[in-house]
Amino acid sequence: MSWLFKDPVLLAAVLCTWLPFLSMAVILIFTRHKPQLSSYISIGAVSTSLICALYLLIKLVHVGEPVEYRTAWLIADDIIIPFGYLFDPLSLLMLLIVAVISFLVQVYSLGYMAGDPGFSRYYAFQSLFAWAMMDMVIAPGMLQLYIFWELVGLASYLLIGFYYEKWSAGQAGKKAFVMTRLGDIGFFLGLILLVLGFGDLGIVAMNEAAQAQAIPSYLITASALLIFCGVIGKSAQFPLLTWLPDAMEGPTPVSALLHSATMVAAGVYMFSRIFPFFAASPTAMAIALAIGTITMLLSSTMAMATYDIKQVWAYSTVSQLGFMVMGLAAGGYFAGVFHLTTHAGFKALLFLCSGVFIHEYHSNDMRDIGKGGGRSLKIPMVCMTVGALALSGVFPFSGFFSKEAIMGVLAAYPNKIWLLAGLLGALMTAYYSFRLIFMILFPKKVDATMPHDAVHYHQEKDDKIQIDHEEAAAGHGAAHGHGSSHGHEEGHGNVFWYMAWPLIILTTITLVLGFFQHSLEGFLLGHAADAHGGEGGHGAGHYALLIAAVSMGLAGIAWAYYEFGRKGASQEGFLARLPKTQALFANRWYIDRFLRRFLDRAIYGGLTNVFTRNDRRVIDGGIDGFCLFTIGSGRLFSFLQSGMLQYNLLVMVAAVGLVVLYFVV
Amino acid sequence: MMKWVLFIPELYYVLMAVVFFALSLQRKSEPRRLYTWAVILSGVGVLVAVLSARLEGMVFFDAYRVDLYSQVFKLLLALGTFWVVLTCSELEGIDSRQHAEFYLFTFICTLGMMMLVSAVELLTIYISVELSSYCLYLLVAMRRKTDEFAETGIKYFMVGSTASGFMVFGISYLFGMTHTTYVAELMKVLPGMMTEPAAIVGLVLALSGFFFKQALFPFHIWAPDVYQGAANQVTTYIATASKMAAAAIVIRFVGFSGGESAVFIKLLVVLSILSMTFGNLVAIIQKDIKRLLAYSSIAHAGYMMIGILSMTQRGYASAIYYALAYLIMNFACFMVILKIADDGHNLKIKELAGLHKRSPLLAMTLMLGLFGLAGIPPTVGFTGKFLVFAAALEQGYLTLVIIGMINATISLYYYLIVIKAAYLLEPVNPYPPVRVDKWTKSLAIFLVIAMVYVGIFPDQFVALTEAAARSLFI
Repeated sequence: MSWLFKDPVLLAAVLCTWLPFLSMAVILIFTRHKPQLSSYISIGAVSTSLICALYLLIKLVHVGEPVEYRTAWLIADDIIIPFGYLFDPLSLLMLLIVAVISFLVQVYSLGYMAGDPGFSRYYAFQSLFAWAMMDMVIAPGMLQLYIFWELVGLASYLLIGFYYEKWSAGQAGKKAFVMTRLGDIGFFLGLILLVLGFGDLGIVAMNEAAQAQAIPSYLITASALLIFCGVIGKSAQFPLLTWLPDAMEGPTPVSALLHSATMVAAGVYMFSRIFPFFAASPTAMAIALAIGTITMLLSSTMAMATYDIKQVWAYSTVSQLGFMVMGLAAGGYFAGVFHLTTHAGFKALLFLCSGVFIHEYHSNDMRDIGKGGGRSLKIPMVCMTVGALALSGVFPFSGFFSKEAIMGVLAAYPNKIWLLAGLLGALMTAYYSFRLIFMILFPKKVDATMPHDAVHYHQEKDDKIQIDHEEAAAGHGAAHGHGSSHGHEEGHGNVFWYMAWPLIILTTITLVLGFFQHSLEGFLLGHAADAHGGEGGHGAGHYALLIAAVSMGLAGIAWAYYEFGRKGASQEGFLARLPKTQALFANRWYIDRFLRRFLDRAIYGGLTNVFTRNDRRVIDGGIDGFCLFTIGSGRLFSFLQSGMLQYNLLVMVAAVGLVVLYFVV
Repeated sequence: MMKWVLFIPELYYVLMAVVFFALSLQRKSEPRRLYTWAVILSGVGVLVAVLSARLEGMVFFDAYRVDLYSQVFKLLLALGTFWVVLTCSELEGIDSRQHAEFYLFTFICTLGMMMLVSAVELLTIYISVELSSYCLYLLVAMRRKTDEFAETGIKYFMVGSTASGFMVFGISYLFGMTHTTYVAELMKVLPGMMTEPAAIVGLVLALSGFFFKQALFPFHIWAPDVYQGAANQVTTYIATASKMAAAAIVIRFVGFSGGESAVFIKLLVVLSILSMTFGNLVAIIQKDIKRLLAYSSIAHAGYMMIGILSMTQRGYASAIYYALAYLIMNFACFMVILKIADDGHNLKIKELAGLHKRSPLLAMTLMLGLFGLAGIPPTVGFTGKFLVFAAALEQGYLTLVIIGMINATISLYYYLIVIKAAYLLEPVNPYPPVRVDKWTKSLAIFLVIAMVYVGIFPDQFVALTEAAARSLFI
């Protein structure tokens, strides 16, 4: 082990990535029945990871070349599969993001999950996620990345289905798992193609070879498109975007950590990880751009039609991920990564704020929260407004800077239609964000003429909200029970501050992060600045664009204010007047229904049938037949073994005689 | 160093035989005391074998050679004997008046086999073989309820003497061809003669005596009846210790040909395939577990032959390793059988039902032993099969290895039937609990650890077997 202690960087890396694994094992094996201890172990591990990640960043910030530690894991002829660590600006940045948000969410969960019967299990899964995500981030090779990518998916599945007694949670978990796996099949095929055609899955090697045009272009295009399937699944891009809203079945901190800030961003991260590789294929980039755009627009419209507070942020996450993919696919490496970073901060913030509301009012419905007096919760209300402003791209919040960066990249793109789509997206984003804010801030007086149900007749998820209610209520009640051991007031105060501090920290990050754009840019692009030269200039240079984008955001806010905020507003929104459109948006453009039908017809009706028949007749039948044959021949041979001695000796002598005869003749 | 020092392990076993001969003359038999003495003496025997492991030299007019190869096998023999004696705490299969004789013949048989692995002169080899064989004939016939099982003893004797006849006949051919009975001379001359049918016929006939002991097809016919008909402890002895001696002498004899004759190798390949396939297929339909293990032993003789017929040092080393592995695994299975059938009856597979509740430790031992026999990692059986197959592949016997692997799969079927009985089936009528004393317990734990440890960290054992294989041809 002495090699470990000789190099502090390696030691920090190992500690950073493997302590959460250790904590998971300890919790699952030893401390399952001691929830308090489990949470301390998990938080202890993740805070150590955070410190190590910070140390690594500080230590390596000025190292120009990527630092790589690798050991050959599998060697087959000339194909070597490495395992280890790759530290370059991108992975260091992402490692820090993951560590920070994991840490904050785990602290926040102390309050949110207090008293839950699965408290230990929750922290074990959180540790599992932290371990898998960090090891994915620092992977030097695509296979390691893929392995931990799947483990991250497993953590996601377990956490979505955390309330497994609830049917819809189990379903949502399965849906998430299957849909992401569907994309991963493409990812894996792409890797296989790459191994066969190129023979090296090292990230640095792939990027360099692609830049040096050492890989034939058809191979790059084919494998890049296949690998992009993984991004589609993981980052919930069109057409596999519907699992993410359903994933909101999990506890809210999980939504904040996995399904907005980090795990779903893994797809975008992977895209930027092998960005030069993707960039070598214009076809793949164009397709990615189109998919990102479609995703962004579609999910923005969906967000306008829901009343579930978490759903709004979920759709918004999908649309922002699409926006990041747009930025990357348009050639804006820094813009995409920068938006990923800021988005991780403010979206986690939005979710955690929503969590406070849900925890307090036992409802996911923004109208209920508004009527219950959501505005009286000052800290989360202010924080959420800050988050929404950042999301809408208003100066000086972090979202403004990163959105501008992407807009700048889109504006530089020859075809202006993408820019228009981006601007449209910005408008809708601001609209749905502030629709939510205003509905909570300025609740409408209860109107007897309008039956409550009529408003959301189209909602497919009514029952779900109902169950969420009870769940949250149960959790809350238990929280009180738990707190009572310290005295009621104090207990409640603790719970509140556990949840409040992460909000305040994230708000601060959201406020200041934008001003670090240039230092971040220098850090990320660093030595590669020539390759992506001048990319950063757009945001500052094009004042027209700046004004257009900001005014789109402001217009969205004004529009939302007109419909929801001002005195005497109907709070119905323009969609209520277009019932067909509203139904279309609320039902997610019928993507789910289409997939369902496709599944029933083509898969279950056709393929599955054929395979089942093949399984029963050919495979089972064949094996049965083979077994019968084997046993039968056993019976047959056993006749050689009769009890008659003279016969036995005859067999023996005959056999030897035959052998002798064979040699002599 | 005095030359007789080289002969110390054998002398020690002679001494033991004398002691038990004296005890057998007593009018009154005291099984417990006999058992205690036997355990202590054979335990010391293992110690003696360990201490003499590094001896080297020639004695008795160069007819007897002590080297690492022979000493390794002597150690295995001593170990096997000790283990078998250790399990004789309830020697119910044999009349209590004959217990002293049982130990006497067991030790003489071990002595004969120890001489066999050291003998390097054809007549010495023949005498050693006969010495051990006659003891076994007597041991088999010693079972209680003699009427029922007398037939077994007679059959064993008849088949055995026929095989001996073949062997002497073959030896006479070899002598006729080479005018020498010394192995060292034979090894120089014989490879040059391997094109001549007479030499091959002589070698094959001589080998058939050892194939008989090894229960290789077509000299296997005694095995099922004898396994079933002998007392459980005797079966254990035949299945473990006596297999070691057979492996040792077959390796030495096959080495005579020096790999010069393609025809000879082809013959061994055919015998190996037939042995594996026949053993495994017939084992599938067995109901009696001892009979099942008899057929399994026929198959294992085939696997071991794959290593031997590679005719390289590595092949021989792999066969030695396989023998070691086989000793441990097979003994583990038999020990469990002995303890469950402690009244000495023949155990049916279905009687194992619910074993995991009656005695989890024994069930575990049995499972690992059977997994080992089937060649499932991480047990020692996997490593053994791997080494044997690897050695054969190095020589290009791909088809043979594939057939061997198919056979391993077939064998898994009947091993799993036994494991299923032990772990998954519930007994119809509850069987009495298994009595496991602390000796058995510690031996079982030792075997479990050994099966896994030697399987996962085979390096030092492989190095030992390779050194032993090297000393074979110096």
